[in-house]
Amino acid sequence: MKWLTKTIKFILIGMVIFFFLFPVYWLVTTAFKRSEDWFTWPPSFFPQHWTLGNFLGLEGGFFGSVTTAISTITPYLINSIVIALSVALISTIIAALAAYAISRFKVGGMGFVSWIISIRMLPPIAAALPLYVIFSHLHLVDTWWALILSHLIFTTPFSTWILITFFNEIPQELDEAAFVDGANIGQTFWHITLPLSAPGLASVSTLAFIQSWGEFLMALVLTTSKNAQTLPIYLGRFITGWRIAWGPLAAAGLVTMLPVVVFSLLMQRYLLQGLTFGAVKG
Amino acid sequence: MMNSKKRKRTGFLLILPLLILFLGLTIYPLIYMIYMSFHQYSLASWEEPRFIGWENYREILRDRTASSSVSFTLFLLFTAVPLEILLGIGIAFLIRDVWGERALRSSLIIPMTIPPVVAGIAWKMLYNYEFGPINYFISLFGLPKVSWLGSQFFARLGVLLIDVWQWTPFIFLVIYAGLQSIPRDVVEASLVDGASGWSAMRYIELPLLRPLIWVTLIIRVIDVLKLFDIVYMVTFGGPGSATHSYSFYIYKVGISFGWDVGYASALSVILLLVVTILTNLLIRFLRLSETLGL
Repeated sequence: MKWLTKTIKFILIGMVIFFFLFPVYWLVTTAFKRSEDWFTWPPSFFPQHWTLGNFLGLEGGFFGSVTTAISTITPYLINSIVIALSVALISTIIAALAAYAISRFKVGGMGFVSWIISIRMLPPIAAALPLYVIFSHLHLVDTWWALILSHLIFTTPFSTWILITFFNEIPQELDEAAFVDGANIGQTFWHITLPLSAPGLASVSTLAFIQSWGEFLMALVLTTSKNAQTLPIYLGRFITGWRIAWGPLAAAGLVTMLPVVVFSLLMQRYLLQGLTFGAVKG
Repeated sequence: MMNSKKRKRTGFLLILPLLILFLGLTIYPLIYMIYMSFHQYSLASWEEPRFIGWENYREILRDRTASSSVSFTLFLLFTAVPLEILLGIGIAFLIRDVWGERALRSSLIIPMTIPPVVAGIAWKMLYNYEFGPINYFISLFGLPKVSWLGSQFFARLGVLLIDVWQWTPFIFLVIYAGLQSIPRDVVEASLVDGASGWSAMRYIELPLLRPLIWVTLIIRVIDVLKLFDIVYMVTFGGPGSATHSYSFYIYKVGISFGWDVGYASALSVILLLVVTILTNLLIRFLRLSETLGL
């Protein structure tokens, strides 16, 4: 009996892995397939020839619609990097200050924290249209700032949340000892709390970075040209048409997803805390 | 030590940047949206907003596409979400104590970490009618190819499948972490007392996980209401309006096809009301005062 349950268990695990990882496998292999292998029957599950051409813009020139040649993707890549870095930096600073106040001084109490959660849960589409109107009055549409500001709405509550739990874990006695020795709040925050919470700050800024990096809806609504469009928009633009140049599109997708997947896996614990508002410690 | 007045002032100064950010970026848009929902206003015309009372809201009740988007959203809520929760719990129990569970866990959560836009590309390739691997697998069983994104039924099923693929890992991860936090000796004691592994799971572990299951359930329901990226990338709401998620429909009305700010605002206000109710429910289940020590 025992071997039977064991066998069933392994078969089930195999099926689960296949279902969840096959789409990833398909994307990754397609990114390295030569154009002859994009449209074949049966589909090519194990490509015989691997190529870097999709990344360099050498494959599938006859499609003319999409290319990942470094020169075309560069503006989008730069926008993505600048926006995500700024979002990471600004949201971490704002969140750290607020989280410190909530953790140490209990500012606002439950009501304030609940408000932060509701902003985190806000449907982006509901914010996008009003923001578009406001930003067009301020001449911010199609600029980096439009995306930085709109991404902050979602990253800051997330970061604040994780940092509150983080600051709570640092014993308050340390602060008090510093006060007794004559330090003021600024000095205490700077010399005691900040160094101790460096890992937390590093994780929330990384998570803010990847949230901004992969964000699609705000970027779709608030940008109109390659002045500010990010990688996800670049990808979204080229998925129409009756025959899509799969290789380059998969390659660009791989470039877009790689930093996100790697960092998310490294930050699993904090990702989970932020996603469930601390319901799980991870 | 600082006196309490000074503490209060410092605390307030520290949250000030966050307050300004949120007041500017959420409160003002919210007021704008509620205001516009009672007006006829389109960015596509030069006319000024005109007050029309509840007309936009009445229009929602008459609008066939709106009700179709509600029905698609309900379809996902009653199929995808329960399926994800059952699968997530099942997988968490399945892979614990298996050799290499850490590696297994990490690889299983990859789908939820991939940006939805990229996931959309991957699935659009898989669903391809002529050359897609899914149709190939189907043909191995001697069945005819399926036009995944071409028919109403299969397009809806297609979006459902992607959602399950993407978000079961989230439930799994939460439940798995929850299982780890249940003290080992509680379960072991029951096993010593003669309980089978199955009944320990049924009567001890699952009840302890119940609050967590509620939390994930509510978060998932809210996420389905926000569903947009996958629909945009894979089906663009089609065929017809079969896979218009509620958020996608707002996008279509308000931005891509009409710039009808008034009507889109009314649709958004309804969405916000529902999400607010759900969020309050969520907050109750989170037991914030315990986790945060407030």
